[in-house]
Amino acid sequence: MNSVNTVLNFTHHQAGHCESGATSNLFGFYGHELSEPMAFGIGNGLYFSYIPFLKVQYAPMISFRNLPNVVFKRSAGYLGVDATVIKKFKDPDAAMLALDRNLEKGIPTGMQVGCFNLTFFPPEYRMHYNMHNIVCFGKEGDNYLISDTVMETPQHLSYEDLKRVRYAKGPFAPNGKMYWINSIPQTLDLKSAIRKGIKKTVYEMTGIPFPLVGVKGLRFMARDLKKWPKKHGNEKASFYLGQILRMNEDFGTGGAGFRFIYGAFLKESGTFLHNDELLEASDLMGKTANQWRAFTYVGARNCRNRSKPEEDYGMLGEQLLEIADMEEKVYQKIAKIKL
Amino acid sequence: MCDNSNPVYKDPRHGQSRELIYSYDKDGNFEKTVGFHGETDRVILQQAWDHFHERIQLAKDQVLAGKVSPVVYYMEKNLLDPLSLSMLSGISLWRVKRHFKPFIFNRLREKTLLKYTATFNISLDQLKKVE
Repeated sequence: MNSVNTVLNFTHHQAGHCESGATSNLFGFYGHELSEPMAFGIGNGLYFSYIPFLKVQYAPMISFRNLPNVVFKRSAGYLGVDATVIKKFKDPDAAMLALDRNLEKGIPTGMQVGCFNLTFFPPEYRMHYNMHNIVCFGKEGDNYLISDTVMETPQHLSYEDLKRVRYAKGPFAPNGKMYWINSIPQTLDLKSAIRKGIKKTVYEMTGIPFPLVGVKGLRFMARDLKKWPKKHGNEKASFYLGQILRMNEDFGTGGAGFRFIYGAFLKESGTFLHNDELLEASDLMGKTANQWRAFTYVGARNCRNRSKPEEDYGMLGEQLLEIADMEEKVYQKIAKIKL
Repeated sequence: MCDNSNPVYKDPRHGQSRELIYSYDKDGNFEKTVGFHGETDRVILQQAWDHFHERIQLAKDQVLAGKVSPVVYYMEKNLLDPLSLSMLSGISLWRVKRHFKPFIFNRLREKTLLKYTATFNISLDQLKKVE
């Protein structure tokens, strides 16, 4: 441990999605205004996967976000930004030393961390969730200055605590992963980045030939949802349903499983490129997101009174299938747009 | 600042922070608002915590009845499952499961116990009993 005392001139903005928020803040540090929805859309934050055989916190794994670090890596790649990602440090102390060196050089550094031991984090969210992202932008004595996009203001974290959260264990363990930007070109080619981002998102949501990912995964889950009360009993089915809703609504999503943010991205790129079709697609996406919110509302009512008739799950499944159809239309629409 | 008008949360520390929430209105604007979570979000989060507290209470009762070792209680308290506990402590999974039996746990060496105390961040005396 060497004693560094540096505080970088880093502006913290609150965001809906941790990684795109961190990316947008990092771009902001280098003088480029990249809004959160823009970083999210270009970096393919939109995703869906349902893995029933992998249990996280006693419920099937449901993810509305892409794998960790995809958003940063892709948005940097598509925009032609020189960025470094170090996937893994074997030695925790080496990982902390690398962070200190970066701060000495004046580079704000993003990190993947686990939520459970984050001392400043809201207590209701402190579960074992390993795909959270924070940016470290300074050190005062033993305390690191942390920009966490869930929180309203920058936070402090001690050396030991930071080491602990960077080496949280479990599925998708962070292993001390860190990333930063080396240099940014004067002008960013947003148009081609938007084109690449949309193409990749459409592929990931509709094109992957695997039944548990994208729109297909959504339909798979909807069909499974109908069977849950018979298969697991009302209590467990209600908990599993709650898991869908928690992943959808609460874990740093800005609501409705990022569909609002993606709609905002389509709208922003539509106004930027003067493309009416993108604006129409954004309207459809917004409506889909509102459907998601309605689904959450009905589902939460079910979670409140645990013993409900089984038809309720049938109805919820139908609602999910409807949402899947609506989403597929949006992806088919934006796939045809020529940019 | 906190919103106490909504009594869904049972733990008073919950629901104290404001978050960024997106929404889509009829005029076609995506709006960002900073605010507390609504009732639906509180219900589903509280459901998860109820589930965890139930498990912790069950583990506590079983430890006091002498059916399982205190490792189970501290595992549940840290919201872990046997696999994550084994990854976290560096003790292999089958050994972790073996240590759930009180008879095996009582004759463990201090070296092994210290691995558990480091994982749960507690002292040796605390590990041997349930408060």
